[in-house]
Amino acid sequence: MSADTLCDLDLSGVADAIHGGKASSVEVTEAYLRRIERHDRVLKAYITVMADRALARARTADEEIRRGARRGPLHGVPLALKDLVAIAGVRMTAGSRVMTDHVSERDADVTERLHAAGAVILGKLSMHEFAFGRPVVDGAFPTGRNPWDVTREPAGSSSGSGVAVAAGLCAGALGSDTGGSIRGPAARCGIVGVKPTYGLVSRRGVVALSWSLDHVGPMTRSVRDAAVLLQAIAGHDPGDPSTRHAQVTDYTAELEAGARGIKLGLLRRFYLDSPGLHAEVKSAALAAFDELKRQGATIEDVDAPTLDLAGAIWVTMLSEVYELHRETIRDQPQNFGEGIRTRIYMGALVTAADFQRGQRLRARLRREIMALFEGVDALVFPGHAAPAQRFEDIATGQIVVPGSRYTNVWNLLGLPAVVFPCGFSRDGLPVAIQIVGRPFDEATVFRIARAYERATDWHTKRPNPEAWTLTS
Amino acid sequence: MTPTSDIDLRASFDAEMRAAGLSLAGRDYELLFAMWTEHRPQREALRAAVPMPDEEPDA
Repeated sequence: MSADTLCDLDLSGVADAIHGGKASSVEVTEAYLRRIERHDRVLKAYITVMADRALARARTADEEIRRGARRGPLHGVPLALKDLVAIAGVRMTAGSRVMTDHVSERDADVTERLHAAGAVILGKLSMHEFAFGRPVVDGAFPTGRNPWDVTREPAGSSSGSGVAVAAGLCAGALGSDTGGSIRGPAARCGIVGVKPTYGLVSRRGVVALSWSLDHVGPMTRSVRDAAVLLQAIAGHDPGDPSTRHAQVTDYTAELEAGARGIKLGLLRRFYLDSPGLHAEVKSAALAAFDELKRQGATIEDVDAPTLDLAGAIWVTMLSEVYELHRETIRDQPQNFGEGIRTRIYMGALVTAADFQRGQRLRARLRREIMALFEGVDALVFPGHAAPAQRFEDIATGQIVVPGSRYTNVWNLLGLPAVVFPCGFSRDGLPVAIQIVGRPFDEATVFRIARAYERATDWHTKRPNPEAWTLTS
Repeated sequence: MTPTSDIDLRASFDAEMRAAGLSLAGRDYELLFAMWTEHRPQREALRAAVPMPDEEPDA
């Protein structure tokens, strides 16, 4: 099997190749390392490549597999982590000059779990500064280029994770999502991104942005891959109190059960009729909803009036960000990028009364949404407002990126959300839809997404490596 | 009272900066003022949305 063929596989394909004896973990790891060497000068998905460590782990995996000591579907499979997830002895920058020289002393909980599953970690992936900065193409920490059009951004903040998975620079990745930082890059890079239920995946050892909104989750090329990766990282961790009620189920058991009998609620007014929705995203989403109906799901319009206040409730995030960075930005403001610096200062201007008002309205929104789940199994709507933008068209100076309403509501509520591809714009850019489920019901969300995925072939499309060049 | 003129807006912004213990100048000041101004409608919407007495945070 050629190196490029290996890198074009999804995670399950890589696992099958390794466990079926078609390729060793070392061969697969070397294929990814060569591809990173060849293309990452343009794509900028990686901050740190851990070639020696990765090859050592791959050799160990091959030896264990030869002995028959197979650890599971991730054994020997090369993955990569957003550079805010700790790996003991490896630099972790969070994409910021503030942490340029930081070396993690111990693994994050998710790193421990991936190591226990036998995964091979290829390296640390680029990201927006502290998961809240702007996209940048140069400087110490460039945030990556979209493999479908390298003149465009891949969205963020898990930008490198989106780029690396879409470009075949790893078999799967972890990102973090505080307002859409997994789902945005997944939508714009044409891959699957999962924000799990709040409290399902530990954040211990993950650089925080906003404690009540941060989630860690998988970014992959298929729904099955996402389910497999989530299975490996989910569960209670005494080091993260938010996981004390984590309910882990088998995410692949019902994956092929189809959509027949599933009741979906379409948030038409707030999402589909929003003036900010790009016409081509809307038409692709409508076609995707029709496909879900053909697969046996029913879709009815639903609504929650307090969705209109979601942007206002978002002030709670600003307070949490400021609380985390207050001392550092006071002591070394020059080490923060301009984009995140202004956003952090905004948090200082949120009053205690505003914060509490936001929390009370957040509870109201949660009650409204949970009431919807009495009549439907999941909610469905477009995955993002618009396809990837050119770097020069990106607006700066805003607290949140335009279109964040498609994702940040679900961080406020902590509900499981998966974004997956449903087509391409006329410019050849990926577009996506999103499914949101009940708390800890990732299995149903995956089942619905998989029902759509197996009826379509969007997830099999790959960007063209010959286009990964810069003309100036 | 809602400030309407640029002078009133800046006076209100400066007062909030002082209350928050922020002391910014130059470009940092102007960027934050622009972001604060842009965010005002959201904040006013938040303050206008009065919860019911029994609506308590459960997040």
